[in-house]
Amino acid sequence: MRNNTFYSVLLTLLLLSIIGTGCSSSNSSSSDGGNEAANGKETVELSVWLTPQWKGVLDATEEGADYDSFILKAAEKFAAQYSKYNVKINTQVIAGDQRDQMLNVNLSSGTPPDVFFESVFAMGDYVHRGALVPLTDLVDDQDRSDIASGYWDAVTFNKDVYFYPFQNNPGTLVYNANMFKAAGLDAYIGGEQEIKTWTLADYEEILSKLKNNLSGSGYANAYPMALYGMNNQGDTWNLAYLRMFGNPFFDETGHIILNDEKGVKAASWLKKIVDAGYTNPGPESVTSNDANGMFLNQQLAISFTNPVLYNNARADMDSGKQTKFDMRLANIPSESGDPLTFTYVVGASVFQSNDPKRVEAAKDFVRFFSTDAELVKSSKNGIPVRSSVISEYEKQYPLFKAYNENAKYVFNFTGNVPGYSQLREQLYPELQALYTGVKTPEQAVKDYQDHGNQVIDTNRNSSVIFSNK
Amino acid sequence: MKSPRILKEHLTGYLFITPQMIVFLLFLVYPIMEGFRMSLYQIQYSSEKFIGFDNYISLLNDPVFLQAFFNTLVFVVCIVVLTVGFALFVASSVFDKNAKYVSFIRGSYYIPVMVSMVVMSMIWSFLLNPSSGLISYLAREQGIGNINLLGNKITVMPVIIFVTFATNVGQAIILYIAAMIGIPKDLMEAAEVDGVSRVQMIRHILIPSVQSTTVYITIINIIAVLKIFVVIQLLTGGGPNNASVTLMYYLYNNAFKFNQLGVASAVGVIMFVITLLLSIPQLRTVLRVK
Repeated sequence: MRNNTFYSVLLTLLLLSIIGTGCSSSNSSSSDGGNEAANGKETVELSVWLTPQWKGVLDATEEGADYDSFILKAAEKFAAQYSKYNVKINTQVIAGDQRDQMLNVNLSSGTPPDVFFESVFAMGDYVHRGALVPLTDLVDDQDRSDIASGYWDAVTFNKDVYFYPFQNNPGTLVYNANMFKAAGLDAYIGGEQEIKTWTLADYEEILSKLKNNLSGSGYANAYPMALYGMNNQGDTWNLAYLRMFGNPFFDETGHIILNDEKGVKAASWLKKIVDAGYTNPGPESVTSNDANGMFLNQQLAISFTNPVLYNNARADMDSGKQTKFDMRLANIPSESGDPLTFTYVVGASVFQSNDPKRVEAAKDFVRFFSTDAELVKSSKNGIPVRSSVISEYEKQYPLFKAYNENAKYVFNFTGNVPGYSQLREQLYPELQALYTGVKTPEQAVKDYQDHGNQVIDTNRNSSVIFSNK
Repeated sequence: MKSPRILKEHLTGYLFITPQMIVFLLFLVYPIMEGFRMSLYQIQYSSEKFIGFDNYISLLNDPVFLQAFFNTLVFVVCIVVLTVGFALFVASSVFDKNAKYVSFIRGSYYIPVMVSMVVMSMIWSFLLNPSSGLISYLAREQGIGNINLLGNKITVMPVIIFVTFATNVGQAIILYIAAMIGIPKDLMEAAEVDGVSRVQMIRHILIPSVQSTTVYITIINIIAVLKIFVVIQLLTGGGPNNASVTLMYYLYNNAFKFNQLGVASAVGVIMFVITLLLSIPQLRTVLRVK
């Protein structure tokens, strides 16, 4: 009996020590003092996350091209020349709609990534929450002059730069020129290297003809225009439609002011085109991914795109993965006649890991791939933010010029408000209510404004940026 | 003088359950207590502030939470009633048939249980998508017009209930068949000799005999349905206009999309209390039966 007790105690102590060891093990991506390699340099392990941006390093047609090819190439080059530490860089591609969940879970458990490469609009909240470190000290005069001030404004919060701008992705419409021809809309087709601008009257005529004339063509099961509102995917286009009649969306205090005559008119227009059958059926249950798939499947004549989506689609068409058709770009029309356009500035940010060596190495890595003469050429997969890269590639990519001409119409769709991620969650339930007839356009815009402003005020109270002012 | 001796006698037993107790305390009791604590705080990434019951008050003032509460209640009642009713019907129809036939039925109903809920949701999404789904396409081809069962606030709940029920019912059927096979044969034979009909036999012998299984199935289904999430996330996103939002989905949104960990914890505490309240009377029934 005494022996049994002894062994039980021993077993218990063993189990406790295992549990204790497990609980005290350090994070695998941390650096510690006893980590020196044969070359005498300490090893620092970094985790780099990115959402799918473009495939390949320079081009999606490269062999084995994937979304993390660029970061892997940059990591290899960086590790070979970095003198401070031996760096090991692990990459992880995160689906855009999983980004906030993944980040929030990892932030709560104290294991954020070291670097995140993503559209700035989606990451502004993490600046407000104090999760990102400033990158201002990485920027020199040469970078300041090579990248236009508008891009620096987009990545600057309270005088500090938090994202290193790399490329930008202007949002436009994309249309199937073959369908336009089939519907007798030749007059509205723009050039291959043009971003066509239609008036709102033109646009309504286009939608009407697409609806009425396509049924007798080879596109009998196609719909005129993509519209979606099941979740926050692609909501920037929805926000653009809500500005079609001139509503400025935000006032100078950073609050939503959609609930006026122009806002109601825009919501009514959306409801009108759904009811008229100018869109895919059931936009309240359709995501932008669905819409994109339908457009590529030639079930939609007009959809949404940005340069990355557009280039990936073109690459898939060229490689035979995707049925080829004549795909061209157009601006989102407005009542005033001026096109509506917005852009996603894309760049890298560094999370505060509370490990100075990791933060240092992460910042050096970001600076490296954002300035390296060879690596910055990859920004041509979207639209480069660097004038030097644009000049190098504009002959090869004539659309760069078209996007540049559009730049004067760009509106800031986030308003740089705190809590933008949460604000995005307020829009689609109201759009669903609008499309299903549960709410009138007046009620939908009023409720969106009320709920949205509540979100902005709540997040303003806890914003690091605002509390530092 | 007696206590130390008893303690010494029981020491080995206590030591054997110590590892389980440590795991239980660390991974079940501690998270529950921590969840309750967090529900009383406003939590930001780098700081937390004690706010008492404000999170609970804001929940009660949020119409989306009330909608989620009501929807969850409807889901629980409908899915549990459907599951128990249908599983009883299938099990009592087949339990005494040829062994191969019983195996076939069990296998057929159990396949959806084995398939991931994500895959099932994707299949249903392929069928129900209003723009490119098969059902919508066939409806248009037949001239019925556009059908959007997921985008209609009247039909979305029945569709989700059906999808969840169809995916989960196999588990209950398996359990019922196993319980019914275990009922002593002489009871059935005596009933047959007395000339009772099959319906009477099911009503007066089978159903009372599998009461503890019914209680178990009811409890596990209540708990499972309270946590319904994947199907909502993938099929409706809580829409249209929050018509299919559930407590778990509401919790998820607050915790992982809005970063409102305090509010999410408060929802978690409410769900825990509901589960506890629903489970206790039924557990007492089980204990009484035993």
